[in-house]
Amino acid sequence: MSDKRWLMLVVVLSLLVMSFAGVRAQDEAAIAAQPCDEPGALTMWVWDENWALVIGSAIEAWKADYCPGAEVELQVQPWGQYWDLLKTNVAGGDLPDVFNMSQDRFFFYAGNDALLDLQPYYDEAGVDTSLWGSGMIDPYRWGEDGDLYAGPVNWDTIAVFYNKDLFDAAGLEYPTADWTWDEFADYAAKLTDPEADVYGAAVYSEYQTGYPNWIAATGTTPIVDAGRTQCTLTEPGSIEALTYLKDLYDQGYMPSISILGGASADDSFNFWLAGKVAMVAGGSWKLPAALEQATFNWDVVKLPMNPETGRSRSIVHSVGYVASAWTEAPELAANLILYLVSDEGQKFFADAGGVAPANPAMQERWVESFGETGVNIQTFVDALQDSQGVTVFDEIWDKINTELVVNIFDLGMSVEEATQQACEFIDTQLPQ
Amino acid sequence: MWNVFLNQFGRTPLTRRKALWGMALVAPNVLGLMFFFGIPVLMAFATSLQQWNAIKPPVFVGLDNFTRLAGDAAFWQALGNTAKLLLLTVPVEIFLALNVAIMLNQRLRGRGFFRTLYFLPVVTSTVAAAIVWTWIFQPRYGLVGNLLAPLGLRDQPWLTRPDLVLFPIAAVTVWQRLGFDMVLFLAGLQAIPRVLYEAAIIDGARGWQRFRFITLPLLSPTTFLVIVLSVISGFQIFDQVYIMTARTTRGGVGGSATTLSYFLYQSAFVQSEFGYASAIALVLFLITLGVTAFQLSIQRRWVYYEAGER
Repeated sequence: MSDKRWLMLVVVLSLLVMSFAGVRAQDEAAIAAQPCDEPGALTMWVWDENWALVIGSAIEAWKADYCPGAEVELQVQPWGQYWDLLKTNVAGGDLPDVFNMSQDRFFFYAGNDALLDLQPYYDEAGVDTSLWGSGMIDPYRWGEDGDLYAGPVNWDTIAVFYNKDLFDAAGLEYPTADWTWDEFADYAAKLTDPEADVYGAAVYSEYQTGYPNWIAATGTTPIVDAGRTQCTLTEPGSIEALTYLKDLYDQGYMPSISILGGASADDSFNFWLAGKVAMVAGGSWKLPAALEQATFNWDVVKLPMNPETGRSRSIVHSVGYVASAWTEAPELAANLILYLVSDEGQKFFADAGGVAPANPAMQERWVESFGETGVNIQTFVDALQDSQGVTVFDEIWDKINTELVVNIFDLGMSVEEATQQACEFIDTQLPQ
Repeated sequence: MWNVFLNQFGRTPLTRRKALWGMALVAPNVLGLMFFFGIPVLMAFATSLQQWNAIKPPVFVGLDNFTRLAGDAAFWQALGNTAKLLLLTVPVEIFLALNVAIMLNQRLRGRGFFRTLYFLPVVTSTVAAAIVWTWIFQPRYGLVGNLLAPLGLRDQPWLTRPDLVLFPIAAVTVWQRLGFDMVLFLAGLQAIPRVLYEAAIIDGARGWQRFRFITLPLLSPTTFLVIVLSVISGFQIFDQVYIMTARTTRGGVGGSATTLSYFLYQSAFVQSEFGYASAIALVLFLITLGVTAFQLSIQRRWVYYEAGER
């Protein structure tokens, strides 16, 4: 075994241990908010209106209980233009004091020293950052000491949403958490009905919901390794997962991207909502939409296990709050972020019943916030146990989410050729 | 001093006063143009000589961005795609617009209604239109797929296949510009004196001859204007590509739908290379300028101005 492999093994093991630690911490650990030293004015950007409502009430509570006299100007910049606007603002030398960050974009801003190091503030407040679990916060660590630069606000994991009515019609039993890829393929075959224009499954689309989960289940880190030094798409695990999925597509059990109308996870999910596909991979953020819009009976189940590794793995993503390195009130910005990730601040997210709060102490409360649904929502929390953090970054996002999947699942290119092409491009984008 | 300046605008106090008024009235627009257009253009020129990712301080690199551009296969591909789109759109657009204009220049019931109908796409947001066209080209459930189903052309991935993707983009572009060209042609047609047609009829000229020897030559200044404007806007095709490939390939598989404007956008907002993107913008400007200057230089060969002024 080469040194690199040893290192990988150690990293994987420690990730495992840490994620278990994170789950266990649910009972005991808590993050306490602290009073601010000096009130002042902050600007803040978020990309979601629903969020803005939740955060708005959280900020009101923060101002009332911890920082009387503080002013926060909260702005919603819609997702479609959020990142372009942020870049143009950066170009103008002007960042909001506090803003939403995603793991794949963090690299760019941290790499250019635009973000405030929050680690000293966590240390001062006595927060044990390991309680969040690795998948959620490792992508937000930066620098030699692995300082944490973000406050994780929420997380989402992936599971299979399935249409119970279609299962009933085909006379099939509902899947359980211990199912394997083989059983999944079997279900997909039996649920496909070309006459009725119904497909068995749609599970390959877009980074977080799509094929990378299947690659992760083989034990390979999807797309690029954690250190962002090499493309992993041509490794055996990636080839195995993509070949498995392409077989399902070639057999006609999964629709092509053109039929779905797009390569995004939403396109697949809408197809499922329309009753045209029986099983779809979907994120926990889709729960409200499914509860509201699905006109059939449905439930969620864990992603199936790879038969060799016996692992079912979900990509976990955590949206974070970061502060600008150029803010005039770093202490205040850090104090607000601390509040938003604390037990008190996270209650607002837990009760809103949308995306799940990052604070482990709040997860049960989040599951309960949905009320009696008959849906196994706990499966998304369970998926955290063996989860995979985000390693991809902005510059390769389009290539792997659109071109790679279009080549394989629309234009019929072989997995080997498509992954080779993708890796050639990714290699040019990796930091030297 | 002041008088010397004023004398530029005319010799009598009246013409001077008129000139001053004129300047005062256009001042808001000129100032606006200078601040929101002129200054950014100058800044873009400066940026094109720098390496700048928008966060770190810019570094002066001289003409590096331009030499890199010359050797960048992606740039030449984008230029090729833009040229293909120009060839796919401009002739079709002008042919259709001229026909529609001639049709709607005749006495016709509901003429105003039809003119409005043809002009509607011009004032429709490109983004909204492109989204609808994306549905039209959806291979299984879309209109195009269903129309072409008898020919066995259902399930064609129009928007992902590298050799097909430019056609839907060209279709939207033509559809959207048609009305604008039509209006220009209509104005041109109505400026042609009726007496010429009457004289021609008396001389026994048939319909085609009247069109060929009266309409076409007298319309040539309008045709010239339409061609120049279409080519300029053709170089700027962006929204259609952005929207129609947003849900699938984002600029086409292997850049097959990437136009110069889209290439510029990607360099700036995906790759964070603002210096390089500014260089692309400048080159795009120079190419457009060059093509337009070329068109101006050959216009005297075919554009006929009635009053004899050339």
